[in-house]
Amino acid sequence: MSEKTVLLQDTTAGSTTGTSDFFGVFKAALRESDLADNVRLVRVADMGVYNQGVVMTILPENITYANVEAHDIKRIIGVTLKHGNPVKDLLYQPKFRQMRLVLKNCGRLDPGSIDDYIAADGYRALLKAVEQKTPDEVIAELKASGLRGRGGGGYSTGLKWQFTREAAGELKYVICNADEGDPGAYMDRSVLEGNPHSVIEGMLLAGYAIGSSQGFFYIRAEYPLAIERVQKALDQARERGLLGNHILGSDFSMDIEIRLGAGAFVCGEETALIASIEGKRGTPVPRPPYPSVRGLWGMPTCINNVETLANVAPILLHGADWFAGIGTQTSKGTKVFALTGKVRNSGLVEVPMGTTLREIVFDIGGGIASGRAFKAVQTGGPSGGVIPEKYLDTPVDYDNLQKLGSIMGSGGMIVMDECDCMVDIAKFYIKFCVDESCGKCAPCRIGGYQILNILEGITQGRGTLQDLDRLILIARAMKMGSLCGLGQTAANPVISTLAYFEDEYREHIVNRRCPARKCRALLEFNIIRHLCKKCGLCARACPEKAITGDREHGYSIDTEKCIHCGVCFDVCKFSAVERI
Amino acid sequence: MIQATINQKPVTVPEGTSILQAARQVQVKIPTLCHHPDLPPTAACGICIVRIEGTKKMLRACCTPIENGMKIITHDPEIVEVRRTVLELILSNHPNDCLKCGRNQSCELQNLAADFGIREELFTKFIGGIPKDDSTNAFVIEPDKCIHCGRCIEICQEIQGVWALSFLGRGFNSRFAPAAGQKVGDSPCVVCGQCASHCPTGAIFEKDDTLKVWQELQNPDTFCVVQIAPVVRVAIGEAFGMPPGTNATGKLYTVLRRLGFNAVFDTSFAADVTINEEATEFVERFVNGKGPLPLITSCCPSWVIYLEKQVPDMVDYFSSCKSPQQISGLLTKTYYAEKMGIDPSKIVVVSIMPCTSKKTELTRTEEMFASGYQDVDYSLTTRELARMIKQTGKDFVNLPDSEPDHMLGDYTGAGVIFGTTGGVMEAALRSAYSFITGEKLGALEFEDIRGLKGVKELSVEIAGRRVNVAVAHGLGNVMSVLNRVREARAKGEPSPYDFIEVMACPGGCAGGGGQPYGVTDDIRAKRAQGLYQDDRDKQFRLSHENPYVQKLYAEFLGEPLSHKAHELLHTHYVKRMPG
Amino acid sequence: MAALTGNDFDAIKAKVQGGAKNWIKVGMSTCGIAAGAGKTYRVLEDELSKQGHPVSLLTCGCLGMCYAEPLVEVCIEGLPRVVYCRVSEECAREIVRGHVMGRKLLQDYILAMHYEEAFS
Repeated sequence: MSEKTVLLQDTTAGSTTGTSDFFGVFKAALRESDLADNVRLVRVADMGVYNQGVVMTILPENITYANVEAHDIKRIIGVTLKHGNPVKDLLYQPKFRQMRLVLKNCGRLDPGSIDDYIAADGYRALLKAVEQKTPDEVIAELKASGLRGRGGGGYSTGLKWQFTREAAGELKYVICNADEGDPGAYMDRSVLEGNPHSVIEGMLLAGYAIGSSQGFFYIRAEYPLAIERVQKALDQARERGLLGNHILGSDFSMDIEIRLGAGAFVCGEETALIASIEGKRGTPVPRPPYPSVRGLWGMPTCINNVETLANVAPILLHGADWFAGIGTQTSKGTKVFALTGKVRNSGLVEVPMGTTLREIVFDIGGGIASGRAFKAVQTGGPSGGVIPEKYLDTPVDYDNLQKLGSIMGSGGMIVMDECDCMVDIAKFYIKFCVDESCGKCAPCRIGGYQILNILEGITQGRGTLQDLDRLILIARAMKMGSLCGLGQTAANPVISTLAYFEDEYREHIVNRRCPARKCRALLEFNIIRHLCKKCGLCARACPEKAITGDREHGYSIDTEKCIHCGVCFDVCKFSAVERI
Repeated sequence: MIQATINQKPVTVPEGTSILQAARQVQVKIPTLCHHPDLPPTAACGICIVRIEGTKKMLRACCTPIENGMKIITHDPEIVEVRRTVLELILSNHPNDCLKCGRNQSCELQNLAADFGIREELFTKFIGGIPKDDSTNAFVIEPDKCIHCGRCIEICQEIQGVWALSFLGRGFNSRFAPAAGQKVGDSPCVVCGQCASHCPTGAIFEKDDTLKVWQELQNPDTFCVVQIAPVVRVAIGEAFGMPPGTNATGKLYTVLRRLGFNAVFDTSFAADVTINEEATEFVERFVNGKGPLPLITSCCPSWVIYLEKQVPDMVDYFSSCKSPQQISGLLTKTYYAEKMGIDPSKIVVVSIMPCTSKKTELTRTEEMFASGYQDVDYSLTTRELARMIKQTGKDFVNLPDSEPDHMLGDYTGAGVIFGTTGGVMEAALRSAYSFITGEKLGALEFEDIRGLKGVKELSVEIAGRRVNVAVAHGLGNVMSVLNRVREARAKGEPSPYDFIEVMACPGGCAGGGGQPYGVTDDIRAKRAQGLYQDDRDKQFRLSHENPYVQKLYAEFLGEPLSHKAHELLHTHYVKRMPG
Repeated sequence: MAALTGNDFDAIKAKVQGGAKNWIKVGMSTCGIAAGAGKTYRVLEDELSKQGHPVSLLTCGCLGMCYAEPLVEVCIEGLPRVVYCRVSEECAREIVRGHVMGRKLLQDYILAMHYEEAFS
């Protein structure tokens, strides 16, 4: 019989069943069956399957079992290890899986090697397009695929291309928007770093479709590695004649250059981005005219986000029908999310549209790292909103998230647990928008500042119930009156936290209490006598000398002097300082 | 044509019309703060929001072109509430200084607050506390009063091409200021004052010299003389409810005397002198080759600053002739003082100008002291004079007409059209034609160089030679003209133009930065029409035919470009690199 | 280098696929580097040269399991291809000594991944 490998989920990553024992039991069983030399039993760090008891994968058959009990070992040895057949009732049958489309080759191939990309069928879509398809056919294919912009707007990519193609202009431009700026979102960075050619191919296809000969990567300067890799990829592509004149022997000619963003979030907004490339102050201008009609230097311009462009080549290679078969009615394909926050496995996940939030957070993300209770998940970055537990089974697509008061956005997904204060979260995001507002239009410039001020007040115990009315009033004015997406959506975190967690706001205002114990100004600190070991560390650490006492009699906190900084709580090694 | 409805009323407008413009057709005035008809919409304030019937989203009327079949709702309770909230937000970032603000009662923000019945402050007040910038003699910048409408920046960058102002910083801390936060006096600013005349609030405001003038008027030891610039006569009436373009020359003379001025002169007379010098200068260069072509006019002080700072390679083309303001002041303290036997040290000359830049011209070079004293002591804008008149309670509209003081007060039609774009050129051509040919032009009116087109060109034949001229107004239009001259120069070819007129402000002095607020192209055109009408009504329409000018040369100056004229009426320019 | 034409694609694919049979790939994107992948790479390089085993040391981008970086994928003929996570200096040396030279999978470092490829 041939050599087999059993990968077994370890206790630390698995369940409460205690796989360490299980490992020993399995090992003993193998010895008993005289298989110890033929079967490698390996305890893995992480199987990526959660809340399914003991999980194991048997290679080379690649059979995965879940919820395996000790009494199943015999059958596994007999049926699978000896004969290579599956034990059907133990098979792990996931409801869904991550599906890698955009990230497929990220982490697989060398981003510095164009040959690696070509070997993974890279640039074949471009070859197919220039040899077999007219630009209109390329656009038709894209429209039929149902691909929508992954940068946040969710506009049909095919339609955008069509408008740019139809617009009159002696020159046309393609811009890749790589000014990824949402806090906690870094999908685009990973794609640019891991598979830059896939984005370049998407841009070339866009250029071919709309009739452009010049493209620009607008990459934020905070992504030096991405810039380096994209530059190298562009150089390689140029060397191979994939950029320049007569690409792949066709009549299509195009080149692409990099432009760096200088650190303004608002430059992710397309009109501000264009202004920035033109060398102007990066502030949005009114639309219409849309960039597809009047964009860079007044010419029709097609701006697509990194992830959108990375979708293009696979669509053209495998067909619109294939792509349209993935996802939901209104949202096709997959979406990459940057899963961060209190989740166990923070990282990038790519799932078909329509996967539920619960699946993403719990099944893929492994749930809350600390084991505390889940509170909410924030999607869409500063333009998005929080989604509470009761909506976790919502299938994720553009429209569903909007109905919940959030948005798909670029794909940031921040998981929060019961220690996260929703007023504080709203404050965090509005602070971000206040810092990043360009200052051009009044609702965003002043409205954001006023909201921040009100939220500061609430978290510091100065809030009034009228503040809630004011928040709603300003939030609505910002939504309705702001010029660009940043301002129109900046208040979303406030609106959604208020909608789902109004009680928490009221608790701060009425009872001067922060239920998540996050807002330090609202906390009282107290030393629990029976836990105190009288070490005096807290007293030495207190910046205000508000802790008095000695090593004989113990210590206490003078609440008059206390500035609620929380240092005592942080330094105490015996959990003797409590926050009330 | 686009057909749509606004508040259920049908409208038909040309393609590209904004919802805001279309609404005016059905007598709906959508409130705005940042929009100005001179400027492309900046869409900064968020007040002009409207919605399409049955949708939630709101659009900005100023920058959204109306489309076929659109059903626009301009007012509903929610729209009004959002507008009010945005207004309250803006007010929370604006000082409550109305009573002592220069724009009290002419402030667009104040008007809106009144319309919305704002009675208390809904939001906490946050004022930036950014210090005032009074580094020029022309105007004061108070950044705290700025509502970020962006008009000043738009006009400074896009229309004037000066790029002195821009937004700095971002978000709540953004502010408008010269690049790198330098003082405006150290910036490329040419003090044209277009920023001040387009500001909806009191954030940019002319330096008010009226108090000093009141003090001079009550000083028994001084002899106060006033001169009024050509275009003031057709604009000041607007401050008293008269239609733009109404000629109020006679009322102005009367009111100035009643304010206490001892003599009332007209800068249009000095303009006639300027033309005698400048047209002669042109003839010298064009016919006799004494000096380079093109000759470029120099009576606009903002244009002088611009050229010195930004186009130093063109300094030699400038006419060396001083501006009418300076010539009038100089002649007052020399010729007039001598003839009247008044001690020139006791004379105070005040000019009423459509202009903020004239305030800085007073001390431009030591040649502005050619009389031995500062030739002009104070320069007031049209707006300042209007305020002085209001302070006296005089019923300006019903004042009787009167005559100016002769000697420096009577002017020709050529002198008065100085106040509009193309006017200096037209006046100069009229005289130059006579100087070269010895004959008088048949048709005096050069329609090609009238009107509000940014660059106007004309080619006329004088004594068998073609004279090619260009007229530019609005500094943003100048470089295209100058670049043609540069290109020809680089190729060693003759200049495409022999004579170029430039006025810094759009419309020339008619749209000057010191004129009554609310200027539009329509108003600029009406003011210009007022001047052209005055021209047509004049007995003399050529500067050199002005009998008082002839007398001046006979008695005092000798002839144009004489040694004495050179000493008194001419100046020089320096190359100031930007910086 | 000559401009690529349609005919070159298959040749390149064949060349790449016919490349090294034994290789180690280190995830060197920002997330990996921040977690110490640079060090991991240098240690692997050092240990491989010490052991003298002809293994290609390659780099790649981010696999998405950012919480488990640095990630190292190992392919040695005759052994299952696996990804090791949180590869410390010691672990890196052990990969060379134990996995490459000793032909044994390391305990407690493997990260199994469950996803489906959208296309192949």
